[in-house]
Amino acid sequence: MEYKYVGKSYIRPDAISKVTGKAVYLDDIRLPGMLHAAILRPQYAHAKILSIDTSEAEKCPGVVKVVTGKGCTFHYGDNIRDLVPMADEKVHYIGEPVAAVVADTPKHARDALAKIYVTYDPLPVYIDARQAMSEDAVVIHEDMDKIWTLPTLKLMPGTNIANVYQVRKGRSADGFDEAEVVLEGEFNYPFASCAAIEPHGSIVWFKEDKTIEVWSSSICPFIVRDDLANSYGVPASDVRVHIPDIGGCFGYKSDVTVEQTIAWIASFVPGRPVKWVSSREEDFTSTLIGHGIRTQMKIGAKKDGKLVALQVKVLHSTGAYADTGVNVTMAATHNSTGPYEFDHCDLTGYTVYTNTTPVGAFRGYGHQEVHLAIERMMEMLARKLKMDPFALRSKNYLREGSVNALGEHMWKFNGDVATAAARVQDMVFGHDKPKEDDTYYYGRGFAAVMKSPKGAPFSTKGCYMKMNTDGSVNINMGGAEVGQGLRTVVRQIAAEALKIAPEKVRVYTELDTQFSPYEWQTIGSMFTMQGGRAIVRAADKLISVLKNTAAQVLKTDADYLEYDGEFIYLKADPFIRVPVTDLARGYITEDGITIGDLAQAVSDARLPRYASPDKNGQGPLGVTYTFGAQGAEIRIEKKTGKVLVDHFASVFDVGQVINPLQIRGSVLGGVNIGIGATLYEEVIFDEDGKITNPQYFQYHIPTYKEMPKQTIEFLETPDPIGAFGARGIGEHSVLGPAPAILNAIYDATGVDFCEIPVTPEKMKKALEALKEYA
Amino acid sequence: MAEKIAFTINGQPRSVEVEPDMMLIDVIRDVLDLTGTKHGCDNATCGTCMVILNGRAVKSCNTVVTKAAGAEITTVEGLAKGMELHPVQTAIAESGAVQCGFCTPGIVIELVAMLNSKPNASEQELTNALNKHLCRCTGYEPIRDGALIAQKVVQERAAEKA
Repeated sequence: MEYKYVGKSYIRPDAISKVTGKAVYLDDIRLPGMLHAAILRPQYAHAKILSIDTSEAEKCPGVVKVVTGKGCTFHYGDNIRDLVPMADEKVHYIGEPVAAVVADTPKHARDALAKIYVTYDPLPVYIDARQAMSEDAVVIHEDMDKIWTLPTLKLMPGTNIANVYQVRKGRSADGFDEAEVVLEGEFNYPFASCAAIEPHGSIVWFKEDKTIEVWSSSICPFIVRDDLANSYGVPASDVRVHIPDIGGCFGYKSDVTVEQTIAWIASFVPGRPVKWVSSREEDFTSTLIGHGIRTQMKIGAKKDGKLVALQVKVLHSTGAYADTGVNVTMAATHNSTGPYEFDHCDLTGYTVYTNTTPVGAFRGYGHQEVHLAIERMMEMLARKLKMDPFALRSKNYLREGSVNALGEHMWKFNGDVATAAARVQDMVFGHDKPKEDDTYYYGRGFAAVMKSPKGAPFSTKGCYMKMNTDGSVNINMGGAEVGQGLRTVVRQIAAEALKIAPEKVRVYTELDTQFSPYEWQTIGSMFTMQGGRAIVRAADKLISVLKNTAAQVLKTDADYLEYDGEFIYLKADPFIRVPVTDLARGYITEDGITIGDLAQAVSDARLPRYASPDKNGQGPLGVTYTFGAQGAEIRIEKKTGKVLVDHFASVFDVGQVINPLQIRGSVLGGVNIGIGATLYEEVIFDEDGKITNPQYFQYHIPTYKEMPKQTIEFLETPDPIGAFGARGIGEHSVLGPAPAILNAIYDATGVDFCEIPVTPEKMKKALEALKEYA
Repeated sequence: MAEKIAFTINGQPRSVEVEPDMMLIDVIRDVLDLTGTKHGCDNATCGTCMVILNGRAVKSCNTVVTKAAGAEITTVEGLAKGMELHPVQTAIAESGAVQCGFCTPGIVIELVAMLNSKPNASEQELTNALNKHLCRCTGYEPIRDGALIAQKVVQERAAEKA
């Protein structure tokens, strides 16, 4: 649809401060009297702590305090309260905080770490869920029976299973008796790091007035606030959390990550702010990592390609703490259908403790992982059925009238995956493939994708809006700007809703729980939808305030009035009108007596009827899905096994494009992250649980020279929930690269990869094996 | 032992006391409070710490501060003239090359150094320069677009002057 301001490109409100170096990130903050912390990590990934001797460290230059976990009486966590700010009796993974030094400079703090002496009694180390689930495995958390969880989750004390989530649809596994063809496969999406260019960091200040002030590179100030308030027994209103500019998130700055540890350290030096910024190594080892998901999948189909039954087992190596990973397991499990309808589903997700860095969100929240499985399986199933893979998919897409794994009915307005697929098919397969030559194999691959929202029953996004006497508007919200460009979206949606130029809308810069409207957390591609709806609601309220005041001025009823951005006027005679600039502070009558309310409004929005899962894992997530399709054209260098992505195509049905420049940028970057996962990236743990590649020069993320040519298009089937029909898009672009590229590798060589990354070594080995076999 | 070194930074002569093993980035950020230069990794891989040292873009995280004695240094804060941005800054802001912005100062500095010394740099030279920088947000394409726009503006301005 044509709008005045929505659907056009505007420059980000934060672009100038970022190109001039004036944007303030966590590490740029300096406070009076600020101290610096450095944290000691263990030598073992799983061990009892026998003793900690801090006496030498305390004597080091500049040292103010040395802190251990001794005496900590609380656990924390939003879903599973299994986390502690610092290890006390036991360490559970290689990045866990064991002790910390607070000193006058970061260097003094770091130098003194070497003078802390810890003795350990090592325990067996489990890297993979399958090891940790074995019957004779040592239990990583012995106190599980004392751990609080959300009522919908269930720990299994005496095992390493933190939660089992089951989704049953139709006749569940019994539905396989209707199948004529059955196919099984197993796929692995290994550990990875979001690896944002800005590392994590926090500043925490316990003040003498018993308030706590925090700055953090986090996207969830309100969760951090509530969590700290709970741990330290102060009212949430006495904890003030600031969020400065954030240098990239992609998931691992959501939930509470480092804040509780820095708070614990700072609590020993009350009156002084304590700053900690992670080294690049700590950013890998000690914040959150992603994925760690193995998907075992069984599909039952009719001979004509109609999908019948799906059985999935998601084995999630969730790391030493499961609080941040359990929702990733769940989203992976119920989205393992991909964009397809199965009459019968039996989907089980195991959240399993391992001696690895805790897993949290990573752009897509479990979706990347299971899309690798389902989209490779569709390709293999087509082969088995001797069917065209596009025809097989097309027969089974979720579309108007189908019901997804959660029992939600799909409608036309949920989007059009079939058209997206047809567009990508044309972009990637619509021309001849180059013929194999001496140097390269050539291949093309496809994947259709779907992403559900990720919220919580109580997740909401607030908006505060005020109009000034010159008609300009200030908007304050709780959405964290991590680079995704939400401030531009806020500005454009508000301009459209208020019928004023975007230049007259000034959007908030930092977040501060003292001033910002409540927001649960800025995750799951939800801001444009929910935040957009909150803006529209606030704008409607604000216009209604203006009308009510104007009704008194114009001596009529409010519903006879109309608003055009400049005036409130009588619909029946537009010459009878009053400028909004005269109404913003209330209307000052001739004798100075002022009538009417201030032109301001507060609102919020959550997804309609978002619910907790029932015993069959069924529960509506707000019926908002973004569908799309992606395809890759690749070359494989015969000599080296190197996979080169020449062209990558993406089409998503986003409901309504808000800002063409930004949405293209979002997809460009997401595809690059997906390509990184597919070809290069894996956080590697050795058998002792040590990470062997915790640096950028060891953990390769895609570089400039590796960017493919990208073709990107959007379909616009308007959504009824999002403002002006817009749906979420932030995470979706990372879902297709792995299956599309692996499908292309098969197309090029006949090699079926079921795990990533496909490094040149693995590719070369597979090609050699193929030759031997031939 | 602390020693005193002098250099010119963003046009201002400065004399600072440093430990000789300090890296240039630590002096720029922590002594001079020029926080536009970013610290993204610890081993000269990411490029966020780039500054112009005697006309050349260098990584300040692996440049020992004593190398800066007597040098001319430009950081990202030194590019705009009052309210007037450097053409590279304008182009990068408008091309969509800014998302989280953490890699932006390094990239801006890289391009300014390149276009100052080689306004007619080939696309391959620009590619080689930009390949020194990691960006996790943009997929690089808008950075390339911004670089090419900036180059055009720089060339046009040079032509106007000539």
